[in-house]
Amino acid sequence: MDIGAIWDFIILEPVINSLIWLSSTLFDSFGLTVIVFTIFIMICMYPLTAKQLRATKGMQELQPKLAELQKKYGKDRQAMAREQMKLYKESGLSPAGCMLPMLVQMPVWIALYQSIIRVLAVTPEGFLSLSQYLYSWPIVYSTLPLANNFLWLDLATPDMFIALLVGGSMWLQQKMTMPRTADPKQRAQSQMMLWMMPMLFAFFCLSFPSGLALFWLTSTVIRIVMQYYMTGWGALAPAGAKGPGGRDERLKQRIAMEGGHKKEAPLDADIVEPVSTPEEELDYEESGDKRQDRGEGYPASFRPVSRQPRRSKGHRPKRR
Amino acid sequence: MWIKYNRILLSKVLLLLVILLVGGAAALGCARTGAVPRGWSGGAIADGTLFLGSMDGKLVAVDISDGSQRWGPVTLETSASAGGFGCAPTSTAIAIYGNLAVGEGLFYVGGYDGKIYAFNSSSGALRWIYPRQDVLQPIVGGPLVALGKVYVGCSDGKLYALDAATGDYQWKFQTGGKIWSTPAIDGDTLFIGSFDKKLYALDAADGSKRWEFETEGAIVSTPLIYNNTVYIGSFDRYFYAIDTADGSLNWKFMAENWFWAKPVIYDDTVYAACLDGKVYALDAESGDKLAEIDLESPISSSPVAVDDLIIVASEEGEVYSIYTGDNHKRELMNLEVRVNAPLSASQEVVYIHTQEYEALYALNVQTGVVLWTLPLTSK
Repeated sequence: MDIGAIWDFIILEPVINSLIWLSSTLFDSFGLTVIVFTIFIMICMYPLTAKQLRATKGMQELQPKLAELQKKYGKDRQAMAREQMKLYKESGLSPAGCMLPMLVQMPVWIALYQSIIRVLAVTPEGFLSLSQYLYSWPIVYSTLPLANNFLWLDLATPDMFIALLVGGSMWLQQKMTMPRTADPKQRAQSQMMLWMMPMLFAFFCLSFPSGLALFWLTSTVIRIVMQYYMTGWGALAPAGAKGPGGRDERLKQRIAMEGGHKKEAPLDADIVEPVSTPEEELDYEESGDKRQDRGEGYPASFRPVSRQPRRSKGHRPKRR
Repeated sequence: MWIKYNRILLSKVLLLLVILLVGGAAALGCARTGAVPRGWSGGAIADGTLFLGSMDGKLVAVDISDGSQRWGPVTLETSASAGGFGCAPTSTAIAIYGNLAVGEGLFYVGGYDGKIYAFNSSSGALRWIYPRQDVLQPIVGGPLVALGKVYVGCSDGKLYALDAATGDYQWKFQTGGKIWSTPAIDGDTLFIGSFDKKLYALDAADGSKRWEFETEGAIVSTPLIYNNTVYIGSFDRYFYAIDTADGSLNWKFMAENWFWAKPVIYDDTVYAACLDGKVYALDAESGDKLAEIDLESPISSSPVAVDDLIIVASEEGEVYSIYTGDNHKRELMNLEVRVNAPLSASQEVVYIHTQEYEALYALNVQTGVVLWTLPLTSK
């Protein structure tokens, strides 16, 4: 049995048959099925998604500190790596923390994508392919072929409006995850991601059946909601707003109450905007932190700082 | 700086990874799901010529004695926008499914572009197109020529009757789902299956409904009529024998997957090929299972009867003959390429249109020798 057959047997067949069964129970509406099934999958993967969102947020918050390390040990790579590892260890975060949950979720999304494409079979070739994935449940055979109409959509054909919705929702989600930064390079990078992904997916949607676009739209909307509850509006919040979003506040309070230990430290910290500017980079040594190390293993400057009012864009921090 | 560059690099790698994953999954998904219509036209034989549509929209007329082309090929192309990335078709070639039909000096083609074409059999010149201006939904089933008319089912759920000589509209009959089935005729009664799970019997003259028979699944296979009985398989895994006079059920037989191929009959035994990889030999009168011949690969290609042999090809490209005397199979040859198209036969030779590596094979069913091969792919 090759890897493709194993994938089909373990993943695709159960998902495809579940989709068909669900469709039969949801008034033969495949559009509704896609939405409900996506919500179900998102709920199942909530722990992973939550972990990923927290880790991403934590990594964003670490960036100013990493930048400080860079300034301090820029030329000594070994020391730099050592200090980085120390910082990650103390914060309880690691770069893999962002990637790993995403990589684990990836096969699930691919399976869901492949299943939807197959169940939506439009061409005769598609139907022949689908026939080889069916369980011997009578309901499966009597439900097929599925009704492709949902709202204004023919789920088997591309649709311009839903492509725009997918692009728009992905833009919102990207914007929420975008770190607030004063670094022009980082900002340019974030801007590229902000526009690139939504445009890419909107373009895909114009070439794929809109049933797939509906799946992308649903999962993006759910992610936006989850992200809001876990990390707040992020960069969507007005730049001059006082502090981070209310959900951020609650999250941090909760984390602080749960642990308040070193492991949770960066999450407990405020969202610190990088205060470094090119000029400051040059006179870093002169402007160095005067605070004393409390002997807790890491320079006090890297520990959580008290909440600062969020500064408006372009506002330069005052030097002490 | 190192961290910043690394972050930028990491972001770019991540973005590239996502693009590759999505694009790759899309491409793989399309390739394996069959989301792009390619077509699998069966041949129609008349006066020593086999008419066939290739997967890149070419129509060929082949001299069945030696495989030479009498004319053409004639290419069917659509002027419609071809889409772009993903599962949308990327070429303008028109997919052709089902058998072509041959009539009085003309042969007929139903295109996936939603048009019905009539060509001159001897020259390949276009005679007429229906509809002339607009397009219908994709046409998957083959046309049927009878009583001076061409009957074609369409994905818009309608069965169209056109004047065979001029292509003028005669009448249409609306069903509740797509029609991918090729119609069959018995006397003045037309039979057609639909995605709405029903088999319809219509008056061939005016399209009025005589009766309908409902199954539990969609019907895409072509009905077979024999001894006042219409035999048809459905997506509900049942094979039905229905009285042509009133649409009452004579018997039904359950298999393990859909019936796609048109059945074939020999000496009161119906041979029904199924996507579960088996050919069922059923008593035409009672529906009793006489034999079950396992080809171990789905069968979507309609078998043919040649003398006392039933010739059948599996999707994997294995061609078998089933001797009707004892219902034992014998492998004629393994083409090792996909076969979905209905088989055609003339005397002792069966003609097989293969997909993937697209070619037309002429195979002697007694000896298992390939008489000639005509490559059809332009790639």
